[in-house]
Amino acid sequence: MEQHRVEKQASWLKWKWWLILFLIAFFIAPFILTEFYLTILCEALVMSLLALSFNLLFGYMGQLSFGQAAFYGLGGYTVALLVTKLHFNFWLSMIAGVLVAGLIGLIIGYFCVRLRGIYFSILTLAFGQLLFFIIYKWHNFTGGDDGIQGVFPPEYLKSPTAYYYFILIVFLLSAFVLWRLVHSPFGQIMKGMRENSVRTEFLGIHIARYQLITFVIAAALAGLAGAIWVPFYRSVAPFYLMWIKSGEPVMAAILGGPSTFYGPILGMFIMTFFHAWVLAFTHFWPVIMGTLILIVIFLLPGGILGFAQEKLRGRRSKGT
Amino acid sequence: MSFDVIFNQFMSGIARGALLFLVASGLSLTFGVLRVLNFAHGSLYMLGAFISYSLWKYLLIPVVGFYVAAVLAALIMGGVGILIEFFLLRRLYSRGWPEQLLATYAIVLIITDIVKWCWGGEFLSIPRPKPFAGAVFLFGFPFPSYNFFIIILGLALVIFLWWLVYKTRLGDIIRAAAHDREMVSALGIPIPWLFTWIFMLGSMIAGLSGAASAPYGAIALGMDIDIIVECFAVVVIGGMGSLPGTLLGSFIVGQVYSFGIMYKPELALAFIFIVMAVVLIIRPWGIFGKPER
Repeated sequence: MEQHRVEKQASWLKWKWWLILFLIAFFIAPFILTEFYLTILCEALVMSLLALSFNLLFGYMGQLSFGQAAFYGLGGYTVALLVTKLHFNFWLSMIAGVLVAGLIGLIIGYFCVRLRGIYFSILTLAFGQLLFFIIYKWHNFTGGDDGIQGVFPPEYLKSPTAYYYFILIVFLLSAFVLWRLVHSPFGQIMKGMRENSVRTEFLGIHIARYQLITFVIAAALAGLAGAIWVPFYRSVAPFYLMWIKSGEPVMAAILGGPSTFYGPILGMFIMTFFHAWVLAFTHFWPVIMGTLILIVIFLLPGGILGFAQEKLRGRRSKGT
Repeated sequence: MSFDVIFNQFMSGIARGALLFLVASGLSLTFGVLRVLNFAHGSLYMLGAFISYSLWKYLLIPVVGFYVAAVLAALIMGGVGILIEFFLLRRLYSRGWPEQLLATYAIVLIITDIVKWCWGGEFLSIPRPKPFAGAVFLFGFPFPSYNFFIIILGLALVIFLWWLVYKTRLGDIIRAAAHDREMVSALGIPIPWLFTWIFMLGSMIAGLSGAASAPYGAIALGMDIDIIVECFAVVVIGGMGSLPGTLLGSFIVGQVYSFGIMYKPELALAFIFIVMAVVLIIRPWGIFGKPER
């Protein structure tokens, strides 16, 4: 046990300088980047939260959710409705967005955690599409396919730079909390459920309850991502909940490496910037994303970080 | 609510259920044998609808033009199915199911853009073909006679699949492969060949049902995801990989949709999901399915 902790500290120390370097880069980014690229960076950070929330279920619990965007959209819609219709306080709307996503996550999760594998994916996809459908059709409450426009943040957050720092701080705090969570005993239980659910159950762990808790945490985190994105973008539309959107965190995790903590973030950054670049000359993004998925599946199993880890491990074991 | 309204709604539900069965049976068949859930099944259905539209429009065959277009679309989709199985899925059977699922998801994205590129985003439709062009009156209510064509096609497919799965040698192999793939392989039956064949058959059924749906509703982008979500409801309710389950699931979802839309159109899909949720609580593996191993 003691040795384990030392090892973990060592791995933390090994990456420390990289982390500090990235932190500095993130904090000085607004002084270097143009407003266009700052916007893309904001999107990458927000979508990385969604990717982290997806990977909490996929990478750590072993369940592939194809409906994570539904919670993202719910968080966004909650904030948009509260701010535009009730002129609610911005910060309270944020909290409400997270709570609504978490609460709906609790209801949907109650059904989903009964299933494993493909069935779990089908059910999350189906529930996600159901929420999309309801918001799409409920015209006089949600604005239907027009969505909701004019969702403004408070005065002091109106400039892109100020909002960028807000997003960055929320991102860092959430990532830190999540990092602590997956490295806690709770995280060990999650991994245990992934590796061998029968044996974990024999240890006296109530699998369904832990999976439900994880599902709710992931839903709330996705809701947070949506809640902070919508005031930045000033509007929300039903396609935020659609399964194509749900496919993005899946893709990011596969690209970056679902077996690592930072993989989904790396994947989402690559995807978001690539997307912005591609959109400059074509609208056929789905076909490019589809081809990219196939390339990663066939040529880069384990994703970028997973692949790198494997290589490093191979070299180290050869060295000793 | 009088009897004739209920009967009319019931018949609409049967027609919708028949269309759902056409699509879901192909999905269920491929899953039963290959153990791969094909997200792209709805996309093959959509592509079949668009291809049949173009064939109908440009071949200009009198009278039977639609039927010829439908059969040709099914054959073309069979070819597309062979290509997908041979070049993509075949390399993924040894990998985990998430990769297989993602590969079929990638196909969804690619087909979406191909359709957008070739046919644009407009709504297209084929007028109802000849003997089923008009309406029949059921207790004084007009009922599109094309719905009978869908129902007949659905029944024909039920009989064909039942005959194929339970009465032929190939059906014996299919059922054996669904039960124990390695044993079948050990008996000298070429599994890769069987998989290609089944995937082609599933794609043909998807293409045919897409073509059949063209005069029933509109052809448009997004019809792939609409149908696949309902098909997921069908197979989850009925039990994945089971023919009678798919039939029962299609019937239930068709009826729930038909009566739901009469009661509150915006919530038709929600009613289907409530039924699905109830089934999941009582029997998570579906009415006719087997518990997961």
